[in-house]
Amino acid sequence: MNSENKSEAPVRQPGRRTFLNLLLSTSIGASAVAILYPILNYLIPPKAGEPTTASVVAGKASELKNNSGVIFRFGNKPGILVRTPDGELRAFSAICTHLECTVQYKKDTSQIWCACHNGTYDLTGKNVSGPPPKPLEAYKVNLRGDEVVVSKG
Amino acid sequence: MQTFLKFLRGFTEGVVLLGLLFGTLGAQEKPNTCLECHSMLEGSLQIPPQKWNADIHKTKGLGCADCHGGDPTQMDDQKAMNRAKGFVGAPQGAALVQMCGKCHSDAAFMKKYNPSLRVDQVSEYFTSVHGKRLKTGDQNVATCISCHGVHEIRPVSDPRARVYPTNVADTCGACHSNDKLMAPYKIKTHQKEEYQLSVHYEALMKKGDLSAPTCNSCHGNHGAAPPGVGSVTNVCGQCHSVFADLFNKSPHKAAFNQMGLPACVYCHGNHGIKHPEDTLLGVDDKTLCSQCHTSGDPGFQQAQTMRQAIDQLKNSIASSEAVLSEAEHKGMEVSQPVYDLIEARQDLTKARTQVHAFNAASLQVFVQAGLNITHRATEKGHQALAEYQFRRKGLAISLVVILIVIVGLYFKIRQVDRRSNGE
Repeated sequence: MNSENKSEAPVRQPGRRTFLNLLLSTSIGASAVAILYPILNYLIPPKAGEPTTASVVAGKASELKNNSGVIFRFGNKPGILVRTPDGELRAFSAICTHLECTVQYKKDTSQIWCACHNGTYDLTGKNVSGPPPKPLEAYKVNLRGDEVVVSKG
Repeated sequence: MQTFLKFLRGFTEGVVLLGLLFGTLGAQEKPNTCLECHSMLEGSLQIPPQKWNADIHKTKGLGCADCHGGDPTQMDDQKAMNRAKGFVGAPQGAALVQMCGKCHSDAAFMKKYNPSLRVDQVSEYFTSVHGKRLKTGDQNVATCISCHGVHEIRPVSDPRARVYPTNVADTCGACHSNDKLMAPYKIKTHQKEEYQLSVHYEALMKKGDLSAPTCNSCHGNHGAAPPGVGSVTNVCGQCHSVFADLFNKSPHKAAFNQMGLPACVYCHGNHGIKHPEDTLLGVDDKTLCSQCHTSGDPGFQQAQTMRQAIDQLKNSIASSEAVLSEAEHKGMEVSQPVYDLIEARQDLTKARTQVHAFNAASLQVFVQAGLNITHRATEKGHQALAEYQFRRKGLAISLVVILIVIVGLYFKIRQVDRRSNGE
């Protein structure tokens, strides 16, 4: 009876062991993938960078001609970098103080202009005509080589 | 009473003489016996020195005689207020206007004090309803002092001045909210109350925007008059120029002229202008359009289409915001589509402005531009949420796998233990 049991045992044992080994190795492999995937996702930066509200590179000084302006992204809000007819660089919030439309540079009058309701600001950001109630928020402008760095305060 | 006045005169003369003797009036200042007496009188003849000291004319070195004439160096009131010597007293009506105009209409004189100050106030005044009625002999109308005050006249830049922007409604309301004063002219007195509920009042008084309109912005100041029907768009267009341009080019311009309706005012009101809502536009009973347009006419169709388009964009923006907000709260990076929505909101503002062209096709351009942005933003929001769900499921699967590994390890250890025990 015992000898019969001993002879049957080796037939069943390799099957269970193989199953457990297979289970174990698959699990370890899956665990490794589950751990590595978020790590890889974390290491590869997203297409849109995290918003930086303290300062931002608004553009290249050499690419902005006199009497022109360009909209840049300052965090999650638009800003406007202008170069006055005299060549001075200035930056402001591009959000119109009337109904929050995005302002733009108007070359023919050398003013900052809001197309929504014809509000105008001079090149110091002061509201000069139309419905805007307040001046545009002014930003600091610094040059880092050719890069125009705009910061708040 | 006579005895008291004699005593007062004697007392004042004594005080002034003492002042002259001890030099208290100062070498630079002109002698002014007027104030000495009138500071002690009662009623309308009283002029408290603290009031006069705050007056712009006093600070510029002018004295009582510069307006009222007479001789302020004389102690005797008969000599000081001698009409033969130019004393004019306290003139009323046209004489008062001319008195102020004596200096304020003299460009060469005013230049000495303020070179940029206008000198056409008197001529402008006589174009006003007040001035015109004064010419017909009505002595109850407003003149210079009704608005600027008297003996405490402050410059318009002084927040305490009665003509400072935040005080103008009260200054005009002093007469125009008075039923008794306005009754003979059959002028209503509700304007100030209505204005205080308006979007303009809120901008001026609560948001501190001194450029926001008050009474004189629409009616004029010295030439105050109700804007005529034909000039309403010009008056509102001073600030709201885009709306005025669109309206003037619209089919409503000719129709309103034909019916004699005041353009902007007919829909938005005058003194109590509220912040406009989308509910004003459309064809249901509560809308403005339905007051004139009925089912089947072209205006009815335009109003219906414009309202539907604006609602579509507004709802689309709200839907995008909801999806992106959910994604943001779940920690997903969606700052770019959130930024892009700024432009969609701007398109909504432009579309609302285009309503004043009363042409659905021109409005549809902005609505479509906005919808393109909201559709892209919503899609990015859904992608971010799908990615979030994928990560959650991945986490769940990895947890199951880890659990299976633990169970597997448990069995393996048991097997190894059994084998060790068997050996």
